[in-house]
Amino acid sequence: MSLLKINNLKCHYLTDIDTVKAVDGISFEIEEREILGIVGESGSGKTTVALGIMGLLPENTAVSGEILYRNEVISSLPEPEMNRFRWKDIAIVFQNGLEVMNPVLKVGVQVTEPMIKHLDISPEKARSKCADLFRTVGLDPKWMDSYPHQLSGGMRQKVLLAMALSCDPKLLVLDEVTSALDAFTRKEIRDLLVDLQKNGYTMLVISHDITFVSSVASRIAVMYSGKVIETGPVRDILVSPLHPYTRGLVHSTPDIFVYKDLWGIPGDVPSGDEFEGCPFSPRCTQRIDICNKTSPVLVPAGEGREIACHRGGIAGLLAAKNLNFSYRLPDGEYLQAVNNVNLEVMEGEVLAIVGQTGSGKSTLAHILADVIRPECGDVLFMGGNVFGGNYGSRFNGIQIVFQDPFSSTSNRFTVLDAIKEPLYINKIGSNGDRLQMVKSALELVRLPSSDNFLRKYCGELSGGQRQRVALARAMVMEPKLLIADEITSALDVSTSANILRLLKGLQNRRGFAMIYISHDLSLTLKIADRIAVMNSGKIIEIGNSHDVMLSPSDEYTKRLVGSRIGLCCHTH
Amino acid sequence: MVNDRNSFIFRSLSTLLVILVINFFLPRMMPGDPFSTTSADEVGGEIIVMTEEQHLYYVNYYGLDRPLYEQFLSYMKNLMTGNLGRSIYYKMPVSDVIMLHLPWTILIVVSATVVSTISGVVLGTLSAKNRKKGSDRIMMTGMIAFAEIPSFLLGLILLLIFSVYFRLFPLAGAVTPFAHYNGPTDQVLDILYHAFLPVLTLSLSQLTGVYLLTRNTLITVTTKDYIRTARAKGLGEKNVWIRHALRNALLPVVTRTGFMIGIMMGGVVLVENVFSYPGIGMTLRSAVVGRDYPLIQGILLVIAVSILICNLLVDKIYGKLDPRVVI
Repeated sequence: MSLLKINNLKCHYLTDIDTVKAVDGISFEIEEREILGIVGESGSGKTTVALGIMGLLPENTAVSGEILYRNEVISSLPEPEMNRFRWKDIAIVFQNGLEVMNPVLKVGVQVTEPMIKHLDISPEKARSKCADLFRTVGLDPKWMDSYPHQLSGGMRQKVLLAMALSCDPKLLVLDEVTSALDAFTRKEIRDLLVDLQKNGYTMLVISHDITFVSSVASRIAVMYSGKVIETGPVRDILVSPLHPYTRGLVHSTPDIFVYKDLWGIPGDVPSGDEFEGCPFSPRCTQRIDICNKTSPVLVPAGEGREIACHRGGIAGLLAAKNLNFSYRLPDGEYLQAVNNVNLEVMEGEVLAIVGQTGSGKSTLAHILADVIRPECGDVLFMGGNVFGGNYGSRFNGIQIVFQDPFSSTSNRFTVLDAIKEPLYINKIGSNGDRLQMVKSALELVRLPSSDNFLRKYCGELSGGQRQRVALARAMVMEPKLLIADEITSALDVSTSANILRLLKGLQNRRGFAMIYISHDLSLTLKIADRIAVMNSGKIIEIGNSHDVMLSPSDEYTKRLVGSRIGLCCHTH
Repeated sequence: MVNDRNSFIFRSLSTLLVILVINFFLPRMMPGDPFSTTSADEVGGEIIVMTEEQHLYYVNYYGLDRPLYEQFLSYMKNLMTGNLGRSIYYKMPVSDVIMLHLPWTILIVVSATVVSTISGVVLGTLSAKNRKKGSDRIMMTGMIAFAEIPSFLLGLILLLIFSVYFRLFPLAGAVTPFAHYNGPTDQVLDILYHAFLPVLTLSLSQLTGVYLLTRNTLITVTTKDYIRTARAKGLGEKNVWIRHALRNALLPVVTRTGFMIGIMMGGVVLVENVFSYPGIGMTLRSAVVGRDYPLIQGILLVIAVSILICNLLVDKIYGKLDPRVVI
């Protein structure tokens, strides 16, 4: 029997202007002694769920659905009835704010208050119990006689925790308890919660801090715009998130990707109650027609996981199977440049292929882009075969940007001609349309779109500018997959940093997938979600970029990582 | 701390000095002098017309012909020794005149403060609890409309209705003249009976302020996180409202009460005159009419000092009620 069960709970705030669907039909269960985590961005409705469970929603809230505590419906109880459950059965730990406790009452009084009310004990007994609780949460009982404003944020949070524990509740709801705390206090609270769970507490941990939640909870529900979009065991959610939003959350978490630059999920939650489709669709990189029309429901996805996505989670974009390619050397020997490579690229992901020169990276890239044909094997892009599919000459297809901008763009072309070329060759748009497209592509890569610049010859440009022109030429075709083959290796450090940030920014904003080929490990670590390591034409290791780089399993990868030249002051 | 206290004393003293200067010069800026009044204020009083000689004699006798600064210095000197001077009109020490009338004023001001604060808080709480419902709207509209009536006009209306028309309350005075009381209870009842209408007038004039402040602060306070916390703890509505909401909402009401006493000390002058209530307000009026400089100075000084004391007390009490404030 589950301790708490929530059935299709909806909490809509009715304001004078419109209706805010803070919680829009969510269901979940918490088993006894389980810790369930709810994560999501601010505004996703997490706190509303917590307040809904406590029966503390403001008066202008329309609540439907039911909340069951030990099979008793508590969602529609009148106030005095609800008070039977509050604190004795279900207690909540609020986020520590300056005004979360009564400013004119001593904290000890505020902790003992519910004990006297619910446990029917004398004030003296309550006080001594309060002192015990203070010691449990790691506070000196002498603080009982101070006022809330005299305590630090961390101490206040501990008092709030002690307060919630005062009547030995069965279920603890923790709402953003670590958000405003320093790392040290956060760890203390976490350890405390783990101890409490061993003592038999059931908990609902609500936070946007996915690291904190995953360190205490056994199961996670991801909320977005008032709906649960993914649930599952903590480890699975972190390692292989199914929903693009969950992936975005995980990727925005610095504790998980320590070295990667931070890129939030672009866009905002759709506002207004008119929107019928999947709430994430405006920000989603893999939306299809149905996503704008109906909202997906949560369906089982195996292994105790559930997902709400019309596409069944993050979709595959490109799949390569059994690719082989050999070069014929002058002496008649064959060099196996690509040896039985299998590869998958998901929607919106950045896959880096690393390896030393001659490992076959570029050859692989050229095969994937249909520049050269493999001896055998297939490459599928969005379900269609790349070979003969002409994905390079279509919108939303595959584009490649090469290593050397000086050879990939002609000196004798003007900027306009160079970028317009793919449109011209593929007979896309009228001349006016083409100019417009070129200008917006230039803006994307942060180059001037003035007539003056358009008339410049590529030969007059600097290396960085020329690589941007090459990038703009790829972007003008609005690719779903961009293959960047060593695009920064010909540039100086500062220019390559600028290009890389630009590229990653574009990728994040436009949501295309990217295969980033490089031999620079430090750079890859900054932008890649996954890394594939190539050696002698084979992919020898592939996985989450930080796992591969920080704890490589293959011998070659270890050597590759170890061969980075550190600065004199660093010891690797 | 010590510095704070010193600066507080310094501030109070300088305020007092400014008041003293104004008190001294303001009456003297009025046309006429204590001896040029030719009419008696009370009906049937003797009309005295002084000759020029007599006038000069009196002016000289009271030292009013000396230069102003000399008069001011001697006033200050006397004040240091606690001597407020002699009333020209009453022909007795000013302090005696004030001691005779001040208790009546204190009686009605304090009672009015208590009555208006308690009823304002109770009504404000009711209104806040029924916020946006009919009873709150009606009460609020009524109160605001009511606040616009000046206290002396209100006093006149109450006097006309209750004393003249219904004859429920006396027209004037603080006690029944020449009454014989059968014990102190009777006397107290008689005093309350006479004080009723003045107190009611003063209270009503202050009620709206307290009511509105209580209502609005309570509404603000009930949106605070700590009220949600208290509710979550299942303490029950009564506890939440009294211990958590009202306890916090009353803080500004306390401050206001202090100011209110000051405002009432001004208002009481008018109200006492309407009800012919023998407090210092009435005395002040006759002192002004008679250009009784020492008495005017004395009464204004008492009013000013009592306002200062009230503010001081409020600060102290606030410090006790709100642990966040350090005084």
